[in-house]
Amino acid sequence: MQIYVCVKHVPDSSAVITVLGDNQIDENVIFLLNPYDEHAVTEAVKIKNSLPDSEVIAVCLGKDDAEKTLRSALAMGADRGILVVSDAPHESIEIARVLKTVMAQDGIPGLIITGKESIDAKGMQTMFRIGALFDFPVATNVIRLDIEGDIAIVDSELSGGAVDTYEMSLPCVIGAGRGLNTPKYPTFPDVVKSKKKVVKKIALAELDIGTSKADMWIVGLEPLVLVRKPKEITGDTDEVAREVIRILREEAKVI
Amino acid sequence: MNKKYDAIIIGAGVIGSPIAYELSKMGYKTLNVDKFHDAGEGSTAGSCAIVRASYSTADGVAMAYEGFKYWLDWENYLDNVTDEKGLARYMNTGSILIKSQGHKWQKVQENYEEVGVQYEEWNNDKIKEMVPVADLHEFWPVRRPEDPKFFDEPTNEVEGALFCPEGGDVTDPALSAHNIMRAAEAKGAEFIFNAEVVDVRSEDGRVTGITLKDGTQIDAGIVVNVAGPHSFLINKMAEGVWEGCNIKTKALRHEVMYCPAPEEYDYLNEGYHMSDGDIGCYVRPEVGNTFLIGSEDPDCDSQEWVDPDEFYEGKGGHGRDNVLTEEQWKAQCYRLGKRIPTLQVPNQPKGVVDLYDCSDDWIPIYDKSDLPGFYMAIGTSGNQYKNAPVVGRMMAELIDACEKGLDHDNEPFQYKFKYIDRSTDVGFFSRKREINYNSSFSVNG
Repeated sequence: MQIYVCVKHVPDSSAVITVLGDNQIDENVIFLLNPYDEHAVTEAVKIKNSLPDSEVIAVCLGKDDAEKTLRSALAMGADRGILVVSDAPHESIEIARVLKTVMAQDGIPGLIITGKESIDAKGMQTMFRIGALFDFPVATNVIRLDIEGDIAIVDSELSGGAVDTYEMSLPCVIGAGRGLNTPKYPTFPDVVKSKKKVVKKIALAELDIGTSKADMWIVGLEPLVLVRKPKEITGDTDEVAREVIRILREEAKVI
Repeated sequence: MNKKYDAIIIGAGVIGSPIAYELSKMGYKTLNVDKFHDAGEGSTAGSCAIVRASYSTADGVAMAYEGFKYWLDWENYLDNVTDEKGLARYMNTGSILIKSQGHKWQKVQENYEEVGVQYEEWNNDKIKEMVPVADLHEFWPVRRPEDPKFFDEPTNEVEGALFCPEGGDVTDPALSAHNIMRAAEAKGAEFIFNAEVVDVRSEDGRVTGITLKDGTQIDAGIVVNVAGPHSFLINKMAEGVWEGCNIKTKALRHEVMYCPAPEEYDYLNEGYHMSDGDIGCYVRPEVGNTFLIGSEDPDCDSQEWVDPDEFYEGKGGHGRDNVLTEEQWKAQCYRLGKRIPTLQVPNQPKGVVDLYDCSDDWIPIYDKSDLPGFYMAIGTSGNQYKNAPVVGRMMAELIDACEKGLDHDNEPFQYKFKYIDRSTDVGFFSRKREINYNSSFSVNG
């Protein structure tokens, strides 16, 4: 089976983002593999290891520099990479059409995995658009994925923490959530091995993606300033401890 | 009227604070001024706080070994003072020095013998038993991942290691400076923060005090430069001091990385501090079962000398500002990844960028200056954290002796260690020395 993983080259979440002009950011920061896509790659490699004769292909639309992100995916276990090179910014309508075209041209997708969102645009649309273009079923924020023959059994986490379980026919599109797995990062021997792997570069102009009836563009970008509202927890030590535990359990849901 | 003290100490880091503590115990009325908001919040906070004895000079080894005794007896050293932030903790993990071409380990071993440092010789089997995740191939020379030879297959093995059962790290370097500040205050020392020195004043060839950025003048007949990466700027403010130093100091940018340990290896509880010149790295355990990975300044890595004020303001651009770089993240993590082949290296860099106050030969200057009354504890070159309590006492005694008429330049002060039976010639740390070619010219000292 050919498992395609769509990855995006995004700014480091800890980078200081500066808006330049109306609708651009200063790109002089670290760019790396979108964190949700790390879960996607990890899951794809796990499935590949359980299915003989399968292959993981990482695909990306981005600038030449995005090869680095594909190299990260290869070091994490993807077999090869395809970079559609374009210097222009793109939104999800175009991205989905480009990725669909390049995947269809390359092979026969048995499974497509993406991150559930990219941490820069946070549009959460690309996976649905790819699904629509291929006419494949889509599930997002997937926290469990089992492949049984021609069926994918997935747990998809909804907002509020509820979980829906679906049986989906293959091929399908999966949006990987944080709960899906712990990303398996490359060791030095993995990096050495991946150096021999191939990243094929295709100029966007070489692809016939056709024209779309819809279009989107960024009109303006403004920095989002988060205002924190600290609250003092008062009372004796027991009460404070109880309240901290309640917050960790009920609000933060970390214990 | 200007406020007046016996001694003003510029800097309240892990070395400025103990100088205040020891001078106060000797009866001096001291004031520390620091441009950051609390004790230890400058380059001390970015220190890896490693406590090891492996230095390339016998004096270096002796001072570090003496320092161990202070860290092991921290509460007594602080005279049982209470600190509302709690006390820093010394973790005695033990310390491994890999025998490699990247270290003058034979010299270190001679120095251990001379000083009487407890140590064991480990062969590779023993290292493997104690550090099961290690691959003991020789990877020398140290290279960068941009160099295709970085990925060459190794053939030989390293030659074993020297292991010191004493050695480790201090959990919170900024807190340790804060602890010493509280101990100093209990002896009458005063500290002011958010106070930037803009001038060191002198009259008739003797220091008279300092001027702060807001115009405040504070007087003292003794001024001590312990300004860390800002030390060269302070020296230039004091008449004739910069010109009178044969050894100069500058601020060197340095990155330290945090990389999670392999899942099956409880590095935090079972691991050791390790200096590994073969891969140009040193490591120590950090909370969260993480490797803290420092660089031993291999020749292939570039050195970025920066303006400390611009650096701390985040200016200077890629590779010169206070943001980690991906290139160095990969260089340091992949180097360790050769030694520990199961180490998983995340895509996102995590770590600390800070400055060394680096001297020409990576050995500090603990000395008087050409301006009477002006003293220096500078040029710590990333390798003096562990010595801080010793330096505090040594500097206080040096200052006291010079103020009482000692001609230190001609008859160097001999400092008698408190714990180990040995003296050190403080002239070793002289500003007038020629470059000491016994040095490692790296953070190793």
